Amino acid sequence: MPLLIGLILLVVTWTVIRAVFPGRPLVALVPVALAGAALLVLFYPALATVEFWAGLIGFVAILSALLVVIHPNPMMSVLFLILNLFCVALFYLMLQAEFLAALQIIVYAGAIMVLFLFVVMLLNLKAEEGLRIGTGPQRWGAFGLGLLFSGLMFWAIQNRGRLAYFAPESAGGGFGTAREVAGLLFTRHVFAFEAVSILLVAAMVGAVVLAKRKLG
Amino acid sequence: MDPVLTRLLIESAVKIGLLFGLVMTTVAYMSLVERRVSAWIQDRMGPNRVGPWGLLQPVADGIKFLFKEDIRPPHAHRTLYLLAPMLVFVPALVTTSIIPFGPPVRLFGYDIRLQIADVDNGILVVLAFASMGVYGIALAGWASRNKYSMMGGIRSSSQLISYELALGLSIVGVLMGAGSLRLDDIVRHQMAHGWNVLWQLPGFIIFMTASFAETNRLPFDLPEAETELVAGYHTEYSGLRFSMFYMAEYANMFTACCVAATLFFGGYHVPGLDRLGLPSGLAATVQVAAFAIKVAFFLFVFVWVRWTIPRFRYDQLMNLGWKVLLPLALLHLFWVGFIVMRGWI
Repeated sequence: MPLLIGLILLVVTWTVIRAVFPGRPLVALVPVALAGAALLVLFYPALATVEFWAGLIGFVAILSALLVVIHPNPMMSVLFLILNLFCVALFYLMLQAEFLAALQIIVYAGAIMVLFLFVVMLLNLKAEEGLRIGTGPQRWGAFGLGLLFSGLMFWAIQNRGRLAYFAPESAGGGFGTAREVAGLLFTRHVFAFEAVSILLVAAMVGAVVLAKRKLG
Repeated sequence: MDPVLTRLLIESAVKIGLLFGLVMTTVAYMSLVERRVSAWIQDRMGPNRVGPWGLLQPVADGIKFLFKEDIRPPHAHRTLYLLAPMLVFVPALVTTSIIPFGPPVRLFGYDIRLQIADVDNGILVVLAFASMGVYGIALAGWASRNKYSMMGGIRSSSQLISYELALGLSIVGVLMGAGSLRLDDIVRHQMAHGWNVLWQLPGFIIFMTASFAETNRLPFDLPEAETELVAGYHTEYSGLRFSMFYMAEYANMFTACCVAATLFFGGYHVPGLDRLGLPSGLAATVQVAAFAIKVAFFLFVFVWVRWTIPRFRYDQLMNLGWKVLLPLALLHLFWVGFIVMRGWI
């Protein structure tokens, strides 16, 4: 009965707001959608479980990843990639790796994707230029590799219980917190960490030299 | 349903509602304060006709924005054009959710924190969502399909990415002192060891300068630069969508001021308050008021600077960001590291 009353109230609110602001569907949609979501969570507790959200976010992640490749407009591709990175960050959050989630958003969604956006805007690509389907051997090669990769994924999911690497315990306590990540970076992996930073500096210097030579 | 979850949901919903109201009121009245203060600085009267001292001016503005015709340029990219104002507005609101506005209080028999989410990586969340705001601006510029808008959008993306580095590095000093990323821990550390601004003044100055750039405020408002670019990224917007950009700017300013007060000016800490022995309810009220005063002061500084310093040229902006602020921030880190190593803090 309370559910019915709630639904009736929702419909009434929707109609009233639509009547007051006829030209603005969003003004009505946002509060009604929020109230509707609250109703759903209150009456269907299954919606508040991690499994449900993992499934939903996984669906969005796969859909956005597909759209990155298929969408003809490069600008939209960039945006879908950002959406995808957000989904990955949410997965980190669900695994309680909050530090990794924050870094994912700051570094990938925040910094690197801004550069992507910047480049796409500068090049001013037309919509059709974004999508070029490979021909001949390239297409068949891509198809074969994709098939191989999906087989590998399928095998990994099938055997996830048997491999020690996939066990949640292998990550250890405090996995993905700032303390843990910093500890690993500056003790066990310090050589690799420093090597990567030197590599990045070298790449940066190389890029600057190449750009300057072109300028003359 | 699980009572803990129900309580959490209701508590969060109430807090979100209150904070949303607070931010929107601040934003509305900042638009009035900005005009009154600018008038005062330029020896004019400013808007003083709607209500006493013009206090109802924001209401009049809101109604005007709501009922304006929503003009959509036919050549614009429809989806992104409609999406962009929201992409600017939402991150600006999200960031305020982790600011601690006061100490934990006991209300109706519950211990309630005066912040929506007490996140372990609080300051990283601020940085993460601060960097999201650029998408809305860049996309607004791109989707308008107008060369002035486009210039504004490109400027905004390069400006924000340049100043984000200095902003992040200026915060690192605070983190080194407190040894935690949680905003509440940072406030507690300052309660015990004095405000960060006392020994991290360069960090504070770098933070404020970078904040001006991140919020697109004068002297760094090159993305809209009305003398060169008509109105930059929001040239093609009108009515409610235009007002969303406007509100996002003030909401970002509010967040930047809250973060500055929390990181460098002790948050809700009032020196010597615990020695007075006030009842806890009164003490909490005083602390929240102190936080509000600190934030109000920084908001005034934002307005003050806007009407004092003229706009930078674009190359000057980039030089300041990369050649002055970034090396300064790195040097500052050495200083903070030295003090922390010696155990003085």
